[in-house]
Amino acid sequence: MFIRLITALVAAMLLASPGRAQQLSIWHDLGDNGTKWLAEAGAEFAKTHPGVSLRPISYPTDQWFGRTIGAINTGTAPDLLFSNYERVIRVASQTGKIGDMRAVLDGIADHGFLSGDDLRVASFGGRMIILPVQRVQMAFGVRKSWLDKVGEPFPQTWEDAKRVAGKFQAGDPEGTGTGTVFGFALEAAKPRDLIHMLDLFTFGAGLRHTLVDPEGNVVIDEPEHARVLAEVLNTFGAYKLVPPDTINYSFNEMYQVIEGGRTGMFRVGDWNVAKWDAQGIKGDFVVGAWPRFFADRQNAVVIGGMRGVAVPENAPNKKLADEFAAFLLGKPAQQASLRIVGSAVRRDLDVSGLSERQRLFAQPQWPLIAYDFPEGGLAWYPELEAAFHRKLLTAIAVPPQDMPAFVKATAEEMRTLAKQLAARKG
Amino acid sequence: MPGLAIRREGVFYLFALPFAALTILFGLWPILLSIQVSFTASATALQPHPQWVGLANYAAIFADPVFQASLARTLLYTVLAVAANLAFALAYALLLDSALIGWGRTVFKLAVFLPVVTPDVAGYVVWRWLYDQSFGAVNAALKLAGLPGFGGLASPGTAMLALLVAELWHHAGFYVLIFLANLAILDRAQTEASHIDGATTLQRFWYVTLPQLRPAIAVNLVYALIQFLKTFTAVVVMTKGGPADATNFVSFYAYQQFDSAQYGQATAMATVLFAIVLLVALSAYRVTERGRA
Repeated sequence: MFIRLITALVAAMLLASPGRAQQLSIWHDLGDNGTKWLAEAGAEFAKTHPGVSLRPISYPTDQWFGRTIGAINTGTAPDLLFSNYERVIRVASQTGKIGDMRAVLDGIADHGFLSGDDLRVASFGGRMIILPVQRVQMAFGVRKSWLDKVGEPFPQTWEDAKRVAGKFQAGDPEGTGTGTVFGFALEAAKPRDLIHMLDLFTFGAGLRHTLVDPEGNVVIDEPEHARVLAEVLNTFGAYKLVPPDTINYSFNEMYQVIEGGRTGMFRVGDWNVAKWDAQGIKGDFVVGAWPRFFADRQNAVVIGGMRGVAVPENAPNKKLADEFAAFLLGKPAQQASLRIVGSAVRRDLDVSGLSERQRLFAQPQWPLIAYDFPEGGLAWYPELEAAFHRKLLTAIAVPPQDMPAFVKATAEEMRTLAKQLAARKG
Repeated sequence: MPGLAIRREGVFYLFALPFAALTILFGLWPILLSIQVSFTASATALQPHPQWVGLANYAAIFADPVFQASLARTLLYTVLAVAANLAFALAYALLLDSALIGWGRTVFKLAVFLPVVTPDVAGYVVWRWLYDQSFGAVNAALKLAGLPGFGGLASPGTAMLALLVAELWHHAGFYVLIFLANLAILDRAQTEASHIDGATTLQRFWYVTLPQLRPAIAVNLVYALIQFLKTFTAVVVMTKGGPADATNFVSFYAYQQFDSAQYGQATAMATVLFAIVLLVALSAYRVTERGRA
């Protein structure tokens, strides 16, 4: 009797158990918003995959690199990774174990919303290392109340932008005294900071490369590139349209200047809008394309990259991880991404709950132009960029008397260095 | 009683063992691993079977003009910062020890020691604001006094000086404390005797007080050398190595290299800096100890 009872109990427990639970882990560097979004997407995924749960873990970006590379190389990889394309490149080159997502993409019936540019900035070394999930758009923003005070419309051309910047600086729009507010908020301290600013003005003006073309040829002394470069440098030097300490500014300091009401024109990323609608700038800004430099070139909002999901080849639950990666391109996960993080890649999402400015990014009507990401094809590019940054910082610290001569000499120097690096690194 | 001695030593080692193990695990092991990484190719440095490149990373950094300049800058800054900090701390400690200062002694002690216990990042953020070219208090005060403006952190010509002042504010209190401890145990009879013998104030300081301060000078010198050779936090918070590399010291340059995945070269730089710190600190200690003997 007793044995029968035990057998029945065990049988009942086995029948009642939903099968072995599976947990997918995803390591990202998107902070609290990213965790919230992924948790919501995981809960939605579990509706069609009973017993599967998702564990999103957020790391600060610098820690994310070390932990991810270390875990993949020691056989303790998470199931999925989520980060920016250029960061996944570094993980791919350090581990050689990032799976090719091409088959996963091909398995998704409706992926027509991904453009050629989107897919180009997802590939590295002939493999699709991320499935693009969030497009990173960066527009040009101007304080609305300041424009009203100086009687100017949103600047369309670079000449407009310079004139408006001058009026902001002279007009004391915050009532804090002249010399306390500035035209532009830029950053310059680290190599990526200054080149990022140059990227925005260069691509925003309709050009396709900042320092080198895909073959590795230095382009900075081509007439159009030289003009943008000279104007950006003059913004620091001759024009004095940024705070004098900008040479030491990185992202944090740039944000302090923007949110502290010390500047009139600045970069607006899609991820900034929800926050700036509510706090900091409190909605007092208009956004649009970057200023036009050339009459015959279309200016644009810049696609500064792609955030996406990657699956390590040694992921513990690789098949399920691929399924979840594909799920992130589906409408429910994309809708949550747009609502919580502020960006997505699908164009058929409901935008009724978004602010007017968020809608501009969610359903972009403005021309878009994507970064070229030379590091994706040229292994030596980061070293060249670091050397270029040093030259530019010197020019900001001690503005050259003859800017065209400086640009030409810098171009020659970069060409020589590029040849040396290419010979050394291939 | 050799048995008792062995047992006593055994107990000592038993108590020391956990701390020795922790030091080896968290102190020495990472240093050894870092040195190991400096002999590998950056692209494979974090892989289970890295590619060994011998001394290639060391050859690369010594051929790098930015590293050469960074090393020279680090040594220059260390010399200036050590000299400024120790001179200031000694003068301040002598002032606190003298009868001149009277009732204000506690206030002055507090004023110099508070920055030591202030979180360094918070302190340096405030200094960055003080130096700010558009709203900083330093230039506002200079302007009020009718003096020319100070380039602060925005100018390559003044950034190192600005950093040095901020670091002096943060660290000098510690050196003052060491000097004060030494001053408290000075043999006052020698000072009085030299006074009776007609020695001037300067002679009394140079021939009587200073030789007795040798222990404090040794401790402060070694500590300051280590401190300023490794200057990092102030650079990260205030200048990020700029402007135009004016404050790009070896520790920060190595960090930058690490940040751009040049792990082999970054750890080679860290190893070179470690060797210099070790060499300089040991030499300074030996020199001051020899003088004492």
